[in-house]
Amino acid sequence: MAKENKIKTKFNLKKELKLAPGYIIIILWTLFIFVLLGWILAASMSTTADIFAGDALKFPTGLHFENYIQAWGSGGVQTFFMNSLLYSLVSCVLLVLICAPAAYVLARFTFLGNKIIQTSFVSAMGVPITMIVLPLFGVVANMGILNNISASKVTLIFLYVGINIPYTIIFLLTFFANLSRTYEEAAAIDGCPPSKTFWKIMFPMAQSGIVTVTIFNFINIWNEYFLSLIFANNDQLRPVAVGLYGMLESMQYTGNWAGMFAAVMIVFLPTFILYLFLSEKIIGGITGGIKG
Amino acid sequence: MKRNKGMIIGFLAPAVIMFLLVFLYPICRTVAMSFFKIDAVTSTADTWQFVGIGNYQKLFTTDIFKTAMFNIGRIWLLGGIIVLVLSLLFGVILTSGIRGKKFFRAIIYLPNIVSAVALATMWKQYVFSPKFGLLKGILDTLGFHELAKTQWLAPENVFWALLFAYCFGMVGYHMLIWMSGIERISPEYYEAATIDGSNKIQQFRYITLPLLKGVFKTNITMWSISTAAFFVWSQLFSSVTANKATIVPAQYMYMNTFGGGNAVTERNAGYAAAIGIILCLCIVIIFTVCNAVIKDDDLEF
Repeated sequence: MAKENKIKTKFNLKKELKLAPGYIIIILWTLFIFVLLGWILAASMSTTADIFAGDALKFPTGLHFENYIQAWGSGGVQTFFMNSLLYSLVSCVLLVLICAPAAYVLARFTFLGNKIIQTSFVSAMGVPITMIVLPLFGVVANMGILNNISASKVTLIFLYVGINIPYTIIFLLTFFANLSRTYEEAAAIDGCPPSKTFWKIMFPMAQSGIVTVTIFNFINIWNEYFLSLIFANNDQLRPVAVGLYGMLESMQYTGNWAGMFAAVMIVFLPTFILYLFLSEKIIGGITGGIKG
Repeated sequence: MKRNKGMIIGFLAPAVIMFLLVFLYPICRTVAMSFFKIDAVTSTADTWQFVGIGNYQKLFTTDIFKTAMFNIGRIWLLGGIIVLVLSLLFGVILTSGIRGKKFFRAIIYLPNIVSAVALATMWKQYVFSPKFGLLKGILDTLGFHELAKTQWLAPENVFWALLFAYCFGMVGYHMLIWMSGIERISPEYYEAATIDGSNKIQQFRYITLPLLKGVFKTNITMWSISTAAFFVWSQLFSSVTANKATIVPAQYMYMNTFGGGNAVTERNAGYAAAIGIILCLCIVIIFTVCNAVIKDDDLEF
């Protein structure tokens, strides 16, 4: 229903001419995005001297992949990158394990408090982070674990999971609500207990929704900044966003601009690669185009 | 029903417990904190001094906080107009039957998946660079050599530089929301209008716009929520010290509690809590006003 299956229309000059102003605006905007990203990519493989001479796109001294090696190694991106990977992956798995059962129960069963819980989750999506960060920091600081690396990593993952719970549940809730009830009825007749029905039948059926919400969570956690800035107070803990900020500050003084752009590219690449393969799924997920 | 009880509790418990710990408890405590004078954010409740609405009164007589509120207000209003108009324009163009719709849509949304730190760096260090900047290059090519010499990041321009860079990154998301609304409008309306002899602009004015009221509400809500969290861009565009032109409440709050910098004269975590409450109240007010003014639930999301 949602997808229009139009037969490819023949090229019609009159029609295309009418749309020309639209084409011009859209092409200019996309061109700008291409130039912006393309130049950063070129600059990351150039040298600082070439960038300042305005020759970033000409590569007068060839391609300099060593910018990447340097940023990755001595620049410290490796640690940040691995941290981010750990935080994002673990948080995404935990989010699915916590939210999918909860969303299913909220979507399928009527019980006292169902409506209130749903409303709470929806409202929580509008709560600014500034509203919750102070008490959270107070608690964590008083537990005295801010100097313990592994305890701090656990804390960070706990927080990333916590703040993404409302969104994940609401997303999966709509998804489960759209699945047909007939499977559960059939399973119940065959004597399958409801919790087993969920894990064996409904959870696998919700796979596409779970994948979509996981991509969103991954991108959100990968790019998360405010919480990481406050709770990751050590280079060994920092994820890419905060680590990159620190590197930018120092690279401005050392004047290594090519290295700075290489670091920017390294941070940008994982989400970009995800997007390259899954842009349709991501876009479909945002516009609520959930197909059951 | 009875035999499902255990399952309902078991399935819900982890999510609800996390929610109570990460949202409900901190929200209640922040509300309480905003009425006390608190030396450090780690101070226990027995050292708090009750000051009533003193923190709020003090905030609204502090120049730097008023500046921060003024800035976030400008970002919300001007940025909102720019982003919602541009994204609607793009949404309308992309749904008007042009070729390569999916391609253009994917590219326009692309900036939204880039880390804000990376995106802000691209703008600050490249587009606005006075030496090799893209803006300088474009203006020079077009022959505006005087304009090309503008220092975009100088104190008098930096707010606008920041605003446009931020808007650029937000357009894609709002475009998608508009597009999903536009695509839900039945083509029959347009066919009928075409038969009755109305042109494209009339159709947009009398069919598309009125039917997008609900989507408009969604857009304003989402825009307000992301504006309240506005932080990274200010921090990147103003470096370590507070810059009057770009400071926003979240940044002031961060300095007040964790940072220091030149903006803070007196450490009081109660102020920080009050700032959080004020931002939250702004969202609630905007949301309530929107719901009261725009009554249209036909196109819900």
